Amino acid sequence: MDRRILSPSDWHKPGVKWSVRLLHGIVLVVLIVAGIGPLLMLARSAITPTQDILEHPIAFFTNGVDWSTFATAWNTLGIWVQFLNTIWVSAGEWIVEIIVATTAGYALSVLQPRYGKVLYGMILATLFIPIVVILVPLYLVILHPPLLNQSMINTWWAVWLPAGASAFNVVLVKRFFDNLPREVFEAARTDGAGSFRLFWSIVLPMSKPILGVVSIFAIINAWKDYLWPLIVLQNPAVQPLSVRLPALQDQIQLNVYLAALAIATVVPIVIFLVFQRFFLRGAGLGGAVKG
Amino acid sequence: MKSPRRVIAVVAFAAASIGLLAGCSSGGASSSATGNGKVTITVGSLPPGTAKAAFTAFDNRVKAFEKLNPNITVKPEEYNWTASTFTAQLAGGTLPQQFDVPFTDTQSLLQNGQIADISSEVKALPYGNELNKSLMAVATSKSGAIYGLPYDPYAMGLSYNRKIFQEAGLNPNDPPTTWAQVAADAKTISQKLPNVAGYMQMTNDATGGWELVATTYSRGGRVEYRNSKGKTIVNADNPATVAALQWLSNLRWKDNAAGSNFLLNWDSINQAFGAGQIAMYPSGSDVLTSLVAADNVKPADYGLTTLPISGSGAGALTGGTVEVVSPQATKAQQEAAVKWIDFYYVQPLINKSQAVSNAKTLLASGQPVGVPSLPVFNQKTYNQTLSWIKPQMNVPQGNVASFNSKIFNQAVVPEPNIDTQQLYTALDPVVQAVLTNKNANIKSLLKAVDTQMQPIITKDDTKE
Amino acid sequence: MTAIDRTLSSQTMRGVRRRSPATWIRGGGLASLLFLLPMLFIFGIFSWYPIVKAVVMSFQSTNLVSAPTFVGWQNFISVFQDPQFGESIVNTAYFALLALIFGYPIPLIAAVLMSEVKRLRGLYAALAYLPVVVPPVVAILLWKFFYDASPTGVFNTLLASFHIAPQPWIENAAQAMPSIVLEATWAAAGSTVIIYLAALTGVSADLYDASEVDGAGIWKKIWHVTLPQLRGILLITFILQIIGTAQIFNEPFLMTDGGPNNATVTVLLLIYRYAFENSIGGGYGEATALSLMLAVFLAIISVVYFRITRSWSQN
Repeated sequence: MDRRILSPSDWHKPGVKWSVRLLHGIVLVVLIVAGIGPLLMLARSAITPTQDILEHPIAFFTNGVDWSTFATAWNTLGIWVQFLNTIWVSAGEWIVEIIVATTAGYALSVLQPRYGKVLYGMILATLFIPIVVILVPLYLVILHPPLLNQSMINTWWAVWLPAGASAFNVVLVKRFFDNLPREVFEAARTDGAGSFRLFWSIVLPMSKPILGVVSIFAIINAWKDYLWPLIVLQNPAVQPLSVRLPALQDQIQLNVYLAALAIATVVPIVIFLVFQRFFLRGAGLGGAVKG
Repeated sequence: MKSPRRVIAVVAFAAASIGLLAGCSSGGASSSATGNGKVTITVGSLPPGTAKAAFTAFDNRVKAFEKLNPNITVKPEEYNWTASTFTAQLAGGTLPQQFDVPFTDTQSLLQNGQIADISSEVKALPYGNELNKSLMAVATSKSGAIYGLPYDPYAMGLSYNRKIFQEAGLNPNDPPTTWAQVAADAKTISQKLPNVAGYMQMTNDATGGWELVATTYSRGGRVEYRNSKGKTIVNADNPATVAALQWLSNLRWKDNAAGSNFLLNWDSINQAFGAGQIAMYPSGSDVLTSLVAADNVKPADYGLTTLPISGSGAGALTGGTVEVVSPQATKAQQEAAVKWIDFYYVQPLINKSQAVSNAKTLLASGQPVGVPSLPVFNQKTYNQTLSWIKPQMNVPQGNVASFNSKIFNQAVVPEPNIDTQQLYTALDPVVQAVLTNKNANIKSLLKAVDTQMQPIITKDDTKE
Repeated sequence: MTAIDRTLSSQTMRGVRRRSPATWIRGGGLASLLFLLPMLFIFGIFSWYPIVKAVVMSFQSTNLVSAPTFVGWQNFISVFQDPQFGESIVNTAYFALLALIFGYPIPLIAAVLMSEVKRLRGLYAALAYLPVVVPPVVAILLWKFFYDASPTGVFNTLLASFHIAPQPWIENAAQAMPSIVLEATWAAAGSTVIIYLAALTGVSADLYDASEVDGAGIWKKIWHVTLPQLRGILLITFILQIIGTAQIFNEPFLMTDGGPNNATVTVLLLIYRYAFENSIGGGYGEATALSLMLAVFLAIISVVYFRITRSWSQN
């Protein structure tokens, strides 16, 4: 049965029942204010004339509504280009992150080579290095990648590949794999499944929840990322929205800027709402976060 | 970051109307290039988001240049100064071969060897020796080598909102001329209009130090000087800076005329001014271009005058951009780049048809024409340039007459020479302290800045 | 390619040498290596190599244009001599402390309450997670509006309706850091809530049943079942939060630029200024030196932390 701390008999006590309901009500109100409030504010400001935004920060539509901001942002500023770019950037980062995290997690958790511990430690160590400081060395790598004789500046590879180096993903996936039942693996091995079969037909299908979680993190982070793409994607034709919009800020009206930001914010929210079932079911992280 | 660095990136295009030259020879890029082979150069063009018409105009200029110099191919790249991208591009050698940098950073860059010595190319220009000395100082090394051509210079002025002046019962055609009057007017405004800060200045992203230095200059002080042995001494704790901060402290705590937001950078103070929350603030004389583009300011409501001048040695702080060349470019590319600078940035200042055509482009893309700039050349030339573009002007010249008529009498003082940006950043917290702490000890705060900055400045002073 | 990669391959080699290649392959050695390849490739080139390079640069003086020169510990010394160094450490520690006080218990309490919701639990969770989805540029712009210190500012208008005087928020040295923490907690709490919710789902109902048989009330169940069951994840989120808050950057960079009066200059902001602002690449050595110190400090803290808590985290 899906019960938590409170037992059915707890729920029958009126004192408990009503105080919990009251608390739930309070939590809901706080969540609505904190979760939706700022977004409403953004949406409201995007269709308000610039002067009103600043002079009447919380009044609604003192001098009417200005829907044209969205059209201006989309067409005149041409941010649909960067909108599409953002989708490509996110998709690429997502694929790279999934490949790296699952293969590494599988090798470290299931295959367990003896040098695995050292590698895992080295992966964890990267958590301590602030990204700010490797910006320049990393930029030089992108400029003169080893083995390749081709600069990756102003190509999406420059954001796709480094995104894969996410220690957080590897840790998350490895811990999830750690908790998968070993007996299943043994049985499959006995049936003659090799490492690749085991990975593809047994482990991955059992890992949909964690893949959902990593996917959401990957896509949303790609959508939010600013400093790194700013440096490697100088050409507006390949820039994502997160880079393009702040660059435009000085040249455009505040309400148009806010409309553009609203456009940039809607997509991750929609993606999140679509995929949230993976995520919020709980089963997803349950395996990875236990103990 | 933003201004002082960024001020001009925003208005890079607007500069076309005004000039920096004393003379007025029609130099023109001579097409007989020294090079025998073909040269390709990449040049920074306009900041992202600039109106399409401006980009088209830029491309047309490129074509015209290539026609005149068949050996040179010019590739424009959208260019915008930000500290982090600039550093990465510098390290990777991916900057355009010709780009612009803020006045503020030029000395650091040339001392670091990060921009090219173009003395011979500049001196070869027909007007090479007529360039204004006090402006050229920004791009000249200690030993006299030239590293760039200043472009689009401006002087610090006092921007004010004419509408608010009227509402507060002040005469918008009679802006304050002394700091005492600025304070009195600010007080009147804040008393009559409770939600308006009568006067404020920038405090954040190094602009706090920048404007503090400007108000120091206007009181005759300097924050850096060379001693008799030629060593640079940082001197934030000088009477003029103390006076500037004391004045600000009184405005804030006695007159209560500085509003309630004290973390303002270039963007946010412009925004607050555009929203009518601030009545007066020190700004570059050409800030109107950005105010129109981003903050919905109507030129009719905008007024500009000079910062009040008092004391000996008082003057107006200058700023702007310097057109520079990459040290990684080949000699032939450097020569081509200087030709391009001459053609694109200098010719419009001394060539009537170019000036008019640029003004028309500005007008077509909805930008203000007739924004005051820095008249470092003689007044006659300045007026001549303005007279060329009179038909295109959409900024009421009466609103800026107070600036234009007085700036000619002011000495023009460049920014501190060594570690400019870092010094500004160190001064930011002092300005913030005065505005947020009633009992801030101005002298000891400034002394601390001197102690902090002197070793850094001494270290960098030894570089060429 | 790099020192790290070399040690790494020599370790692999040692494994190879001990057994014959054939047994190595049969024993799954080759398969492991193949599966590790994407990670080795990506981490090697885009993480470990740049880190090693940054370590080298911390001992060099460079302007990023001409060839760097080795200067020994000079970069570290000049960082120590910078008066802002101590200030930034104090500020960062203060931020971390406040973030722990606000940011650590609130998501836990919220998650425990939310896990008792019978219907619409998804709605609760989605609402809690929404702020995480908002891009930082948007979030900080909005919060700057909220924090407008004039009486007409958003928060101050709200306070006025409760007859509370307008607050200076980020415009005051004493209030700036708590204000930043409030925003940062808003932006990050959603993730932690989701993680706790998931962990709570994993707590077996039998344990509650059993403790009820022993006569435990609600508080006892929370104290003796829920919290011990969450121990592992609580210990991890604690150290992750310390590591995360020590690297706080967006808020001081975009919202206050370290002000007012340096009250919000954090270690990472100082690193950024060294690297990119002060002398445009001339201070990159100092930036890497300070980063290295921060990284070593965090690594030591983490190791000590895991040593101390090892016995607690075992179920």
